[in-house]
Amino acid sequence: MEKYTLIVAEKPVSAERIAKALDKKNKPKKHKERSVPYFVAERDRKIIVVSALGHLYTVTQGKGRKTCYPVFDFKWSPRYLVEKGSQYTKIWIETISKLALNADVFIDACDYDIEGSLIGYSILNYACDKTDVAKRMKYSTLTKAELEQAYLHPSPTLDFNLINAGKTRHEIDWLYGINLSRALTYAIKRASGRYATLSTGRVQGPTLRFLVLRENSIACFIPTPYWTIKALVELLGEFYEAEYEKKPIENKTEADKIVEVCKGKTSKVTKIEEKTYRQHPPVPFDLGNLQSEAYHLFGFNPRRTTNLAERLYLDALISYPRTSSQKLPPTINYKSILDGLSRNLTYQKLVSELLRSEKLKPKEGEKEDPAHPAIYPTGNMPERKLTTSEQKLWDLIVRCFMAVFGEPATKQIIKAEIDVNGYRFFLSGRKILREGWIRFYKPYFRSDEVLLPDIKEGEKVRVEKVIREDKFTKPPPRYNPSSLLKKMEKEGIGTKATRADIIQTLYDRKYVTEENIKVTELGQDVTEILQKHAPTIVSVKLTQELEEKMQRIQKNEEKRENVLAEAINCLKPVLEELESQEKIIGQALSEALRQSKLQERIIGDCPTCETGKLVIIRSRKTGKRFVGCTNYFHSRCKTSFPLPQHGIVKPTGRICPVCGWPTVIVFKRGKRPWRLCLNSACPKKEERKKIVEM
Amino acid sequence: MLKCKICSKEAVDKGYCRLHEKAHRNLMDKFEMWKEALDLSWKDYLNEIVKNPLTGTKAKEVAETLLSENQ
Repeated sequence: MEKYTLIVAEKPVSAERIAKALDKKNKPKKHKERSVPYFVAERDRKIIVVSALGHLYTVTQGKGRKTCYPVFDFKWSPRYLVEKGSQYTKIWIETISKLALNADVFIDACDYDIEGSLIGYSILNYACDKTDVAKRMKYSTLTKAELEQAYLHPSPTLDFNLINAGKTRHEIDWLYGINLSRALTYAIKRASGRYATLSTGRVQGPTLRFLVLRENSIACFIPTPYWTIKALVELLGEFYEAEYEKKPIENKTEADKIVEVCKGKTSKVTKIEEKTYRQHPPVPFDLGNLQSEAYHLFGFNPRRTTNLAERLYLDALISYPRTSSQKLPPTINYKSILDGLSRNLTYQKLVSELLRSEKLKPKEGEKEDPAHPAIYPTGNMPERKLTTSEQKLWDLIVRCFMAVFGEPATKQIIKAEIDVNGYRFFLSGRKILREGWIRFYKPYFRSDEVLLPDIKEGEKVRVEKVIREDKFTKPPPRYNPSSLLKKMEKEGIGTKATRADIIQTLYDRKYVTEENIKVTELGQDVTEILQKHAPTIVSVKLTQELEEKMQRIQKNEEKRENVLAEAINCLKPVLEELESQEKIIGQALSEALRQSKLQERIIGDCPTCETGKLVIIRSRKTGKRFVGCTNYFHSRCKTSFPLPQHGIVKPTGRICPVCGWPTVIVFKRGKRPWRLCLNSACPKKEERKKIVEM
Repeated sequence: MLKCKICSKEAVDKGYCRLHEKAHRNLMDKFEMWKEALDLSWKDYLNEIVKNPLTGTKAKEVAETLLSENQ
């Protein structure tokens, strides 16, 4: 039988792209083996491209019962043997093993990063047993030219430094995750007899702690009063707000005195200061910056941005997005990318402007990534109709790419000093003198222009009125998914590929809620308990140290066995402490869970007694559900409301806009969810009744 | 175990749990600034704190408790 080259890609879409790029007619044949697709390309020899489906192998427990901890014995196993919903991966592994039998050249063409290298290695090791002879294709875009180059000049061996770093990360995360989560879960089981899944981990714990610390600062915050003074002045028939020089004023009497003295007085412009400065173009996007910009401009959460960017990458529209680089090396060929983009009418004029400049030199940031450059468009045009979100993200990446080649913008700040009865007020204006790079990034540029009329020193100004503004200091802002991701990046915990997923896990575990992240009672209690009994787990220091060591494995400066042993040594005393305090921890966690469940059922304040809370209750006698006041249990309030007996009822956390009573939302199969006000005499209900009767 | 007079968690100082104690400390620290700014009495200050929507939940609970203890 004819021998062939077997290429292992990371996903079916990338497998198809690779096959298409390598086939001499760009038309590889698609085959299916028990529903697993693979592609046959003809070149100088036959090439078969098959794909993984993410990780086909994972870490699992070695020997020992699966219901106890500590567990330090682990092994790598096929995912279908470990995870319940992963049966479909079995045929995938079997197909790859079968295709490997007649192959004589093996190439790993998974994405070039830790995860990709590990996915390729696991398959070539466990399914093909060919890691010693396998080669590595390295590329940053799925364009034909780059894939051909990667195929023609592969690395002769697999990138074992990346693989070792990846293996160690997975093993340490598994050890921490399984042991700590089991410790929490069994503590609850032994204290209350109930089974409830609670989790924490090496990165999850410290991340939740950031949020808890912020939550506590907000909860304990005391605002302090201060005042500012504004003068509404008339300049050439238009009104402008000039600010008093001292900001803030910390005493009300002082503020009142200034208002009194300045009221109704004439004033004049005593000084005008103009400053011109240059604003440099933005730096190219790394994943973190792209996530942050997409969140601010479009409201995409970091995970959504990653998924959208991944799709654009698989369509060969942008380079590999999981990068921390802010550099664009000349080897990517700026001109050919811009030429490609000029085929799109929207960018044509802007591109020709850039191409007219003598030399194309991008503005670059400081961050580097040895594996990939910053995110850039490939210059390819979409082969399918992009979704609105994909189009938005692609446009953002294209415009940022063009902007980095732009000239600096020139801006002017004008500051006019106005004397009102001996008190100095300032009027500030900002103007763009020369757009430069802003032209390319325009729809996304957040302008702060304030245009002032042409005023001169000595000019008389009429003061319409002087206003005292009463203000209070504000609590620190809550984190949102974007700012939390930045914080994790700054503290050096997690990786660019895992941070967004960790934030999502915090939501899934009900440790946090809402877009502007609020920590739930459960999240507070879990952190508090871990802080008390296992402070190293929620400390940033341990995670940072481990991250640094894993980076060193990647650079071949540290042995993975040493890092693994060190991680286990750190974990052992923590688990011993948790086990010795199991009863106390279990009781505290059970109470936290009970409170959390109660919180989920709370609809709002009782409108009758005003001190109790309305909760959804199921009657033990009749089995029916209704809403009752918590003060009923103290014989202080008998308020109750009926509820629909079918479907799912959840509190909305909002009050009725008409009568101000609490509301619930009812979900019924096949029907649109409907919001229900608990007040039977709500005017809105009366209105509806009348409409129905009519 | 001594319990916090507000939330029944373990008390660490002055009859408050860790968080309520922190809020209490903040409340005491900021009084001077309020007094300087508005020339308020302790009771008026607490009333202002309870009314203010920017006051944190724990701080509000402490202020309410102090007010009810005063009465």
